Amino acid sequence: MSRFSQGATIALTIARKDALSELRGRQASGSTLFFAALVLLLFGFALGPDTRRLTDAAPGLLWLAIVFGGLLTVARLHQLEADDGALEQLALYPVDRRAIYLGKALAGTIAMLVLGAILLPVVAILYAIPIGAAWLPLVITVALGAIGFAAVGTAYAGLTVRMRAREVMLPLLMLPIVAPLLLSAVKATAAALGGDPFGEMGAWLQLLAAFDIVMLVAGAATYGFVLED
Amino acid sequence: MPQTTIYVAPRLAGMQDTIPPAVAAEDLARLFGRSAALAGISLEIEMGRTVALLGPNGAGKTTLLRILATAIRPSFGTLAIDGLDALRYDDAVRSRVVYLPHVTGLYDDLTAEENLRFAATMYGWSAPEVGDIVRAALDEVGLLPVATDRVRTFSAGMRKRVALARLLTARPSMVLLDEPHAALDGDGMALVDRLLGRWHEVGITVIVASHQADRVVGLADATLRLDGGLVAEVTGSGIRADSSWAAPAAAPAAFGSDR
Repeated sequence: MSRFSQGATIALTIARKDALSELRGRQASGSTLFFAALVLLLFGFALGPDTRRLTDAAPGLLWLAIVFGGLLTVARLHQLEADDGALEQLALYPVDRRAIYLGKALAGTIAMLVLGAILLPVVAILYAIPIGAAWLPLVITVALGAIGFAAVGTAYAGLTVRMRAREVMLPLLMLPIVAPLLLSAVKATAAALGGDPFGEMGAWLQLLAAFDIVMLVAGAATYGFVLED
Repeated sequence: MPQTTIYVAPRLAGMQDTIPPAVAAEDLARLFGRSAALAGISLEIEMGRTVALLGPNGAGKTTLLRILATAIRPSFGTLAIDGLDALRYDDAVRSRVVYLPHVTGLYDDLTAEENLRFAATMYGWSAPEVGDIVRAALDEVGLLPVATDRVRTFSAGMRKRVALARLLTARPSMVLLDEPHAALDGDGMALVDRLLGRWHEVGITVIVASHQADRVVGLADATLRLDGGLVAEVTGSGIRADSSWAAPAAAPAAFGSDR
């Protein structure tokens, strides 16, 4: 087996294990979804019944809900490892640390995609926004955003999972790094929902894709240090 | 009684004619903050030996095992495992050393079989091999009837058995065990004793830390007693250890009689 296919097997095995654990621990993932949907509902109450204002704010609110839900998701994916010393055991397997990182980032991406796929229709219903015509660019935006968020989140959740104040440290360290992702994703979502009158969506999606690549490469290169006690 | 195959790591290339020690450590020390869990020990263990690691709580047994397993790095000193510089080639060392810690490191929401399939894949077995290896390992530890039950539902002893089965899915040249008898019933303890014997038979080096001195000393070639992070006593064959670097006055050199 070549090194690449061996690495791919390891990454897929880790992603499958995390996905299985997430599916079986439905209580935790269900409450994350509920929390993110509740954030959207509360923003709706805070902004009032003005449809125009809600439509303008919808892209930003959608991504804030994804970010809040995503923080809980990536933290939980590492908490699974920290329970009962599984993270140390994972670090002791004779496998490439980059494959471990990519496996966990893949699991995080899948969880984020599920979150985005549920929150998009919630936004459409709560804020009365027609998303049918813009579904393809919205799906691409959510996918690129999910990859980037999981890429950063996997590295930082690994870094903070052994800390006592990890619930505080994870957002504190991570949110400044994902600011460019949040900005690009909100702009791309707004352009998609508005019919992209200025032809700017492509540029924002390119920025998102570049962010994803840089963060995946950086995360894979540094995750070995993150795993060391 | 099941007799699963014990897989052994192949001899390293370039070391076919010479047999390096399984462990060659010089002046190992590990600090946690200001306290030294391991205060400076030099250690040499011949390949294929079973060593009982003894000592009171806080003696440094777990710290030594975690350094040998490459779970943590020493603050000072050098370490070679099977002739490999463990601080430089820790990836290569991990493919030769397996470690059973205090905690089991299992995934609660996966079944026993899924936990072991995961481990076997991580140890490099191909998909067609994984199924047979996992079932044989589960059979060996007596958990085949509950293979598809989630680990969350298991008792502490059953979890320890799954962790022991995980060791059987690897191809090690060295097995490190931290309190392997803890949480086990009589049958479970006999299982550990049987595995210790089988690892010894096939030439795998075993270092077993235990408070059950009576139990492990009879199964070991040598004993190494630590106290306060230093070597307190060495007996038996195939081992040399001392703490002369750290505290020459407090811990005079102690050598086991070499065979």
